[in-house]
Amino acid sequence: MIARVRCLFVVAVAWLAAAFPSIAADDLVSHPSELEFAPLDFQVPRAESFRHELSNGIPVYLVEDHALPLVDIRIVVRMGQFLEPASKVGLAHLTGSLMRRGGTESLAPDELDERADFLAADISTSVGDTSGNASLNCLSSVLEECLDLFFDVLENPRFDARRLEIEKSNLLEELKQRNDHPAQIASREWQWLLYGDEHFTSRHVTGESLAVISRDDLVAFHRSWFRPQNMMIAVAGDTTADSLLPALEQRFASWSGGEGEEVPWPPPEARSVPEPGVYVVEKEIPQGNVRIGHLGKERQSWNDPDDAALSIMNDILGGGGFTSRLTKRIRSDEGLAYSAGSQFGVGTFWPGSFTVFYQSKSETVALAAKIAREEFERIRREPVSDEELRTAKASFIETFPSNFESARTVANLFTTDEYLGRPHDYWYDYRDRIAAVTEDDVKRVAEKYLHPDRLVMLIVGEWEQIEKGDADRRATMEGLIDGEATMLPLRDPVSLEPVATDPEG
Amino acid sequence: MTTDAAFDRKHRNQTMKIQLPRLLLAPTAAPFAAVLAVCMLAALAALAALAAPVSAVVADEPAKAEVPVQTFELENGMRFLLVPRPEMSTVAAGWVAHVGSANERPGITGMAHLFEHMMFKGTRTIGTTDIESDLAVIVEQEALQEKIRQIYREQRERWRTGEISDPYDPAGRPAELVELQQRFDDLVERQRGLMKKDEFDQIYTQNGASFLNAFTNSDMTVYLITVPANKVELWFWMESDRLFEPVFREFYAERDVVYEERRLRTESTPTGKFDELFNAMFWQAHPYSWPTVGWPSDLRVISKAQADEFFDTYYAPNNITAVLVGNLDVDQVQQHAERYFARIPRGEREPPDVVTLELEQIAEKRMHAECDCQPQIQIRYHTVPFDHADSYRLDVLAGILNGRTGRLYKAMIEGEEIASSASAFQQADKYAGSFTFSAETKGDATPARLEAAWDRIIAELREETVGADELTKVKNVIAADSYRRLQNPFFLMIQLAVYDGLGDWRVLNQEGEKLAAVTAEDVKRVAESYFAPENRLVGHYLRKEGTVAEEVPPELAELPAEMRQGVMAQIRQIREVEDVDQLRQILGQAEAQAAQAPPEMKKVVDLMLRVLRERIEELSEGGDQ
Repeated sequence: MIARVRCLFVVAVAWLAAAFPSIAADDLVSHPSELEFAPLDFQVPRAESFRHELSNGIPVYLVEDHALPLVDIRIVVRMGQFLEPASKVGLAHLTGSLMRRGGTESLAPDELDERADFLAADISTSVGDTSGNASLNCLSSVLEECLDLFFDVLENPRFDARRLEIEKSNLLEELKQRNDHPAQIASREWQWLLYGDEHFTSRHVTGESLAVISRDDLVAFHRSWFRPQNMMIAVAGDTTADSLLPALEQRFASWSGGEGEEVPWPPPEARSVPEPGVYVVEKEIPQGNVRIGHLGKERQSWNDPDDAALSIMNDILGGGGFTSRLTKRIRSDEGLAYSAGSQFGVGTFWPGSFTVFYQSKSETVALAAKIAREEFERIRREPVSDEELRTAKASFIETFPSNFESARTVANLFTTDEYLGRPHDYWYDYRDRIAAVTEDDVKRVAEKYLHPDRLVMLIVGEWEQIEKGDADRRATMEGLIDGEATMLPLRDPVSLEPVATDPEG
Repeated sequence: MTTDAAFDRKHRNQTMKIQLPRLLLAPTAAPFAAVLAVCMLAALAALAALAAPVSAVVADEPAKAEVPVQTFELENGMRFLLVPRPEMSTVAAGWVAHVGSANERPGITGMAHLFEHMMFKGTRTIGTTDIESDLAVIVEQEALQEKIRQIYREQRERWRTGEISDPYDPAGRPAELVELQQRFDDLVERQRGLMKKDEFDQIYTQNGASFLNAFTNSDMTVYLITVPANKVELWFWMESDRLFEPVFREFYAERDVVYEERRLRTESTPTGKFDELFNAMFWQAHPYSWPTVGWPSDLRVISKAQADEFFDTYYAPNNITAVLVGNLDVDQVQQHAERYFARIPRGEREPPDVVTLELEQIAEKRMHAECDCQPQIQIRYHTVPFDHADSYRLDVLAGILNGRTGRLYKAMIEGEEIASSASAFQQADKYAGSFTFSAETKGDATPARLEAAWDRIIAELREETVGADELTKVKNVIAADSYRRLQNPFFLMIQLAVYDGLGDWRVLNQEGEKLAAVTAEDVKRVAESYFAPENRLVGHYLRKEGTVAEEVPPELAELPAEMRQGVMAQIRQIREVEDVDQLRQILGQAEAQAAQAPPEMKKVVDLMLRVLRERIEELSEGGDQ
């Protein structure tokens, strides 16, 4: 009898559990902070499995993704603005944009637009500092037709004269606004202060340089440099190596690119030793736009542990938003600036730059500079805290998977590796290198790469107000940075020639 | 902390609550992901580009792709749509409540949208340090508000007889009302002392979630977020908690916030008031006639009791569909769904259907407006709702008109040079549809000239069938753009939610074939059927004497007017933000999202990024070179 009752009881409990599954909700944690999460499991894809090579030597990284009938092709070309003559700044940019906008030998510009629309093909071309780029996105069902059009654009651009004129006049309009924003002036002058005015990245388009660029120049620039010999290709989407590689071979078979000069590579280095001191561009604005810094580091090897430590160091100093020291002290504690932070650049072809940046009302520019200087010295002197280190490392490690989120990003990333000479191992070991950084490492790289005696300070603002410092005499500009204050001339926005004004304003 | 982006003309005031980034505490932010989301939604309908796999006709092998959606339903009626994307490290998650402003009635217009705001105010657990005291304060507040509503009733009576000129004028408040409101304000202060402000946002942010967002339109309310793949359980905890035990704290303060937003965006934009009028004129009987943000007088008196009833009816699990796209384990998701959402009881009664049907229009309507705007025109025709066969035909017809190589651009922008922008679209909503042509004038051209040009273009479509090449081009562009939009998991999630909100998510996988089947004869026939004068409302917007129009960036020239207005509003907002860190955050998120923006949005996205960067530069020394 007892057994029978027990049995009924068990059945009843089972029935209850089945009938009222929501009773199980009782074991929900009472606050989300009590939830426990498994670590994010993420494996970096292996680059080798995507790499192919065409018979002309062009590497192709092809990442298949058949979820949607789309193909994405990006061609990177080893060329860039560094190849344009100093007298024709703007030539590289115009060549890049006119390739797509200026038609082809067989298609007038509007015919090209029609054809691209008919195929629903998205084609774009551009030339930047140290690379040329062309991309195609289209339906896989019309890939052949789109490739024909794409290669026509790449190989036979018409550079239609009327479209060139429109493009040039638009560009001229943009030049006229170059002095409108103090930040734009600061950016230009900072480049000159750190890298001199000789390096190609220090050159700017002017009305004059624009005027002398002709259609013939575009044709020649394209013919000389936009050539198969200089290309690398990233492919992602609904295609296979078996079908796409022959299709590419076929297009390149008839396009040798001819005999031409080898691209000088790497691009020319910036050779300049910045002169420490304070530099001022006088501008009547209530807030000073400030940059303080010096040259950063040039990359020696891609797995240099110093680089990981530098990323962490800068994140704690001023790169990590609200959790970083400069932001906390200058913005949150003192309320001296809307923004304050730092970046430390490790350059691939020449040294990057270390820059502390902020903007503050004239009278507190000096005080903020003093604080920046204190933090700059503190991070060289004292180890960072455990929590600072942990937060900074987590932010790098947790966002890492987003580099590999889609077939397109993977193909582009590995192609960029090869373009820059970055070994793919860089990604496989990335999180380990970050995780390995210690307090000592941070202090060591701060001592090694931050140089108090080399600081350059640039201010765009009203010097007379700024120099005096704040009313409470907490800081003045005197003695903050070694060297004399130098007044820099304001420049005409179109010619960038100094405008003759009284520097005392 | 929140801003709304209304795109009133087309989306009948689709409004958005914006919760990103969490640092924004000033009511100024113009979060970019929201723009993307809205643009995407606008693009869905406006660019005749229903996000659908359409066969490309130029190839022998038609392209085929289906979004592989797995579904299940809980006992309580809540449905789940899942799309596993194992290559991702995140999950884009959202849910759609099948309720929008069309479910309201006079007196409570704006309720659906107000709700969207309330859903971020927390629960019994989230957002408070002392729930019992919190609830007690809410009861006290309610008692005071009841007295206040009684006084407003008297005020309205005085207004009807002409005794006072504005029943809600703060300066004309009776002494008793002033005193009641003072007591109410004290209670609000007391409640704030018990609150953990923005805890809902903060929990998500601290866990690495992003793009917390929501929007409301006439047919639906959608809540969105992206969470790291290993933290999908957090989403289940948070979302089930706010559906299970929400606490509508700060209800009346939030109602005032919405009122202010209405002022900002409808009443203070160049065409906002006129667009609202245009919409109200267009719908004679249907609830689509009132704005999603609500009529101002209703926003003054909506009560929490009405809100509670609204919640019980429309936020029951049987009226909700959840959508998750990303790196997820289907079995695990199903277990989480059972654990977290099954505890919410089914609604006591099924949400009522919208039964009012629009009458057939019997005479042409015209609106003549004078505003501080570029002279422009809108012409709107009654058509058909979501998934009606003619809707696809009208989409193709719109495709023939739109784009750089489309007929509108060639005729009005390049040819006669009378327009700076021109576009047309079929808007297929859940209960009814419309087709709108809109354009802005260039130089000395008048809206009347644009109207004549439009009539000629429509006459051509009625008289001659479109060429095979032109038709193929349109179908190809529709197909490619629809696929491109599916690439981004966040947008895919939104699209599934929106399609479900419109009636059936499966249409996303079906409409490709329906669009591909449209013939040149079909296009001619719909041109004949729907574009009669007595079926339309024509709106001429003329510049009021002595005003200067805002300059529209050329990037926006090809966009439909509504989207352009929306983007312009966002640009204006960005330019007013003073907090550069906030902008940097927005920019960071925007850049991450921008790479996968729908292709036809690329110019807009680039423009928005540029405006953001310019504003950051303006405010600071940019870190970027």
